[in-house]
Amino acid sequence: MSRKYLLLILSFGALLAVPSVIHDTFFLRIITEAILWIGLAISWDVLAGYTGYLNFGHGAFFGIGAYTTALLMKLCGWSFFLALPFAGLAAGALAVIAGIPTLRLKGAYFAIATWALSRAIQQVALVMDITGGPDGMRLPTFLHPDFFYYLMLGVVAAIFALYWFLLEKAPFGLKVKAIREDDQSAMSLGLNPTWIKLQAFILSAVPTGILGAIYAYWITYIDPASVLGDLVTDQAVVMAVFGGLGTLIGPAIGAIIIYLFKTYFWAYLSDYQVLYLIILGGVIAASVVFLPNGLWGTISGYLQTRNAVKQKPVPQEKIDKGVHHV
Amino acid sequence: MSEPLLQVNAVTKTFGGLHAVFQVSFHITPGEIIGLIGPNGAGKTTLFNVISGFYAPNKGQILFNGQDISGKPPYKLAVLGIGRTFQVVKPFAGLTVLENVIIASFARHPKRRQAEQHAWMILETTGLADRANAQASSLTLAGRKRLEVSKALALEPTLLLLDEVVAGLNPTEADRTIELILSLRDQGITILIVEHIMRVIMNISDRVVVLNFGQKIAEGVPRDVAKDSGVIQAYLGEAPQ
Repeated sequence: MSRKYLLLILSFGALLAVPSVIHDTFFLRIITEAILWIGLAISWDVLAGYTGYLNFGHGAFFGIGAYTTALLMKLCGWSFFLALPFAGLAAGALAVIAGIPTLRLKGAYFAIATWALSRAIQQVALVMDITGGPDGMRLPTFLHPDFFYYLMLGVVAAIFALYWFLLEKAPFGLKVKAIREDDQSAMSLGLNPTWIKLQAFILSAVPTGILGAIYAYWITYIDPASVLGDLVTDQAVVMAVFGGLGTLIGPAIGAIIIYLFKTYFWAYLSDYQVLYLIILGGVIAASVVFLPNGLWGTISGYLQTRNAVKQKPVPQEKIDKGVHHV
Repeated sequence: MSEPLLQVNAVTKTFGGLHAVFQVSFHITPGEIIGLIGPNGAGKTTLFNVISGFYAPNKGQILFNGQDISGKPPYKLAVLGIGRTFQVVKPFAGLTVLENVIIASFARHPKRRQAEQHAWMILETTGLADRANAQASSLTLAGRKRLEVSKALALEPTLLLLDEVVAGLNPTEADRTIELILSLRDQGITILIVEHIMRVIMNISDRVVVLNFGQKIAEGVPRDVAKDSGVIQAYLGEAPQ
């Protein structure tokens, strides 16, 4: 266990040093975006992997964050850091409004409802004047790749740490898992499933909105296709499923692999761009069939089985003495 | 006699045109073990679901400690002190036995550390401590039934509803479970138990309530109920003339 966290801290340290080593802005941009996708994949997984609710409108929260920032900066003349919390707030509010009616539904209906919601929001952005319609919006430019790299890294690391604490350490994580495993049993033990699922939904949505805000300010141009399109959701889903649902490390690994593949593909095989979505679909189908627990789930499952063979039951003398107590 | 802990007043629950439970009334006083019996389909589990809040009654009223609880959701009743098990066991299969019980402990011990300590204590009373780190899905049926009881107990309930926790166990396992139920009563927990195995019900219950086709047909101490002609008829059919 501790080795895993050491590895995480070491890779975070290595990432901190990246801008001082790599001066090529193209590469820095690729790494910044890879980190963004880690954030999107783990925030999607909070709901999908931990509560079992597949949100096919994840992109809507990203887009809401992006548009909120763009509107506040352009129309109200706010600074980026003033607008940033409101992007998270707007995404959280959307989660509350969408979640209260839909989280009572069974998983499949929730998936359909969130997908429809994201389509509706994209349409709204397309027809409104204030959002620039299909032309999108241009934000005040701030061209400092290093700044955005560190901002993205800091925010995604903070999201990761927050999720890790809440889902793996705090009581909240076990409660969420209880509802995923059996909501009736959870209810009989004093847990209100709808309320806990709503909390998880907000926990998934707010960071996604903040990531949308950073993306908008970084890229300086957003339109309904880029921040509210299907691809945002689809890629996050593929990354999380390929990496391994219900863990934090799995989707992060999935995000890195899929994103690097995509970038390589678009950079060097751009004539075959049309194939990208086909391959993405193939990857998801293949990983559902051959790696139902995802890449990380399969690896850690293998390690667990190996350890379980060595594992002994809690010895009776220890139980009698009560020395196993924490 | 002391105030009843639970009072079921003319409770009716219908599904479509079917009266699953029809105008059933009975009460439980603190410290009692009440057996709820009846042939298959008599409405025992439905009545359980009504008392534990999974169904709202169509008519009638349920009082717990004098407070009207009819139609309150299960998670509120759990906190009030009503613990239940499920006939079809519902472990959190992907989690460990200890984690299962920790989740139940949160109702009274919101801090993770205290909840874990409390969970260990519960597992010791129910005899699952040696399996604490195993996946709940790896338990045998007897183990899963014990886990059901452990989870309900971790709530520190004043009223415990046990739905067929002995059925399906071999005689040794059954005896251990009966011992456990009796020791819980001695700790002051009031128990309502549904069971098909008459040996169990007749031996441990202070009083027995008999349901047939959703209606209460008899109530009393086990000895008398076993002689009741209506009960014998419900189980064995009409006696030949």
